[in-house]
Amino acid sequence: MRALCWEGVGKLAVRDVPEPRIRAEGDIIVRVRASSVCGSDLHLINGYLPAMREGDILGHEFMGEVVETGPGVRRHRVGDRVVVGSVVACGGCWYCRTEQYSLCDNSNPQPVFTEKLWGHAAAGILGYSHAAGGYAGSHAEYIRVPFGDIGAFAVPEGVPDDSVVFASDAMPTGWMAADFCGLTGGEVVAVWGAGGVGQMAARSAQLLGAERVIMIDRFPDRLATAAERIGVETINYAETDVLEALRELTAGRGPDACIEAVGMESHDVGPTYAYDRVKQAARLQTDRPTSVRQAIMACRKGGTVSIVGVYAGLVDKFPLGAAMNKALVLRMGQMHAQRYIPMLLDRLAAGEIEPGYLATHPLSLDEGVHGYELFEKKEDGCLRSVLHP
Amino acid sequence: MTNNGTRWALLGVTAATAVGVGRAVARRRHRHQPQRQDGWYVVRRAVTVDRPRDEVIGFWADRERRDRALAGWATLRQLDERRWRCVARDRAAGETQWQAEITVEEAGTLHWRVEDGPMPQLGRIELAEAPQGRGTEIRAEMRYRSGPLRRLVGLVGGDEPDLALRDALRRAKALVECGQVLDTRDDPSGRSRAQEKRTDRMRETLMTGGRA
Ligand SMILES: NC(=O)c1ccc[n+]([C@@H]2O[C@H](COP(=O)([O-])OP(=O)(O)OC[C@H]3O[C@@H](n4cnc5c(N)ncnc54)[C@H](O)[C@@H]3O)[C@@H](O)[C@H]2O)c1
Ligand SMILES: [Zn+2]
Ligand SMILES: [Zn+2]
Repeated sequence: MRALCWEGVGKLAVRDVPEPRIRAEGDIIVRVRASSVCGSDLHLINGYLPAMREGDILGHEFMGEVVETGPGVRRHRVGDRVVVGSVVACGGCWYCRTEQYSLCDNSNPQPVFTEKLWGHAAAGILGYSHAAGGYAGSHAEYIRVPFGDIGAFAVPEGVPDDSVVFASDAMPTGWMAADFCGLTGGEVVAVWGAGGVGQMAARSAQLLGAERVIMIDRFPDRLATAAERIGVETINYAETDVLEALRELTAGRGPDACIEAVGMESHDVGPTYAYDRVKQAARLQTDRPTSVRQAIMACRKGGTVSIVGVYAGLVDKFPLGAAMNKALVLRMGQMHAQRYIPMLLDRLAAGEIEPGYLATHPLSLDEGVHGYELFEKKEDGCLRSVLHP
Repeated sequence: MTNNGTRWALLGVTAATAVGVGRAVARRRHRHQPQRQDGWYVVRRAVTVDRPRDEVIGFWADRERRDRALAGWATLRQLDERRWRCVARDRAAGETQWQAEITVEEAGTLHWRVEDGPMPQLGRIELAEAPQGRGTEIRAEMRYRSGPLRRLVGLVGGDEPDLALRDALRRAKALVECGQVLDTRDDPSGRSRAQEKRTDRMRETLMTGGRA
């Protein structure tokens, strides 16, 4: 079959690879119908998330059709149209039982690297390097999904592929980001990063009761899309002092909650950006935390900073003093896909969230390399390229 | 008396088997000296399984499951009420045979002893209730010496048996909690055979040991 493979830092290619097979009773094989790019892939492609190997198949945000089921599978049949959460979860450990699926104890078969790095290993993630288990990804004609009963969900009729595909990753991530904020109604929420994840976080915050959502990015087209589709206020950080603007917009209080949906390759305009890039290049820090710093500085006293942008290792100049003295709540994590997907599918079917507009560039699998170029450079208004094998 | 109380010997087999010499050789690079006591190297490891103790015992006592788990590499024979004999082959070490005797005590404790294998060892597993309804702690202690074979391949001390024990506990936990030990080695990739070989070596490093 054809698949989009990582070939080295910054290098991708479409190759012929063997087809996956059922390996365990609970496995299902899905014929991929739509597989999206995600900001996390950029971290993997660019070598900031470690343990990629040449030949690894990328892709973890996808939907498709079940073509084969292991003998232990109960909830799915051949022919079912399903969306699959990116996170692999066993369903049987304490973390799964308490719906903290991205912390599953058993789904990363190669846990030693992250145990050394973080003290404990988190769950495996499909198409997400050998640190996350070494699973083949979804930018391929077929993919093996372990624990199919737990990770795959039947798609409601009438919801198009290029919309429901985001129930795999961007929607649950955005929802979790807003969920972390503990909104009770009427809050002002600021969101850093107007990519697919940030936009889904903004919409989720509205649904959970935020009165105003303010989005921060530097790409005018992304900000304009968010304003138009979700009805948010926007700040272009390349033109405006973000901290000043947020203070102004909230009459001095600061946002009640700050969501960070940018991640470790955060960009900045000031002199600290050069400092961060040099340090990251020299591996003195692995991650560039510009937007996290800003979120902490901007947040109102006693507010919540919710981080869903991905970080892997160490950061520098982390304003711990601000967080401590303002008594902030910090929440963060990889998303618990399986916990949110059923609810999100209902909301999708009801039209409460309409993520289809994120699929700005529907492409064939063979155009995948180009799809990533557009996405990385944010060219041609690209929010997400969605590949169709 | 062949109730569950003694039939969960399989858990002991799983732990004992994992420390055959073949695996140990693959793990030589992780060298550091474990604790010593009375001429034995001693390692202690534990893992928490999210199931009540009876369920953990019941899992390992299930006959069908046992036969499936042992298929091909070991036989388990009951000697008397409490004692079992396990004969195992270590394929990775050129079909080395070794025997373990496993004694099960009712109260969630078992020990095993390997005298004639590549690595003489004494092991003990205890099941304890975890706090806050978090299931069962499987606590293992293993004492081992360097057998002639281990000396032959240059493994006198070293922490490979420790890593192997941690693997064994992690696998035991996974089997009880989700019925399988995941493996991504056969997932498709665009690698050549040589690249796949190198990747497998890296996988081995990332799979070996770890927090039990
Ligand atoms: N926690 C999870 O489970 C999870 C799941 C999916 C994605 N993610 C992460 O979420 C992040 C965003 O993903 P995405 O797919 O939306 O990526 P994306 O690349 O489409 O969007 C990131 C956006 O952040 C903007 N940005 C960069 N620096 C900024 C700064 N200093 N201030 C404000 N905005 C800035 C960029 O201009 C871009 O628009 C990534 O780090 C990704 O890895 C996390
Ligand atoms: Zn993602
Ligand atoms: Zn689990």
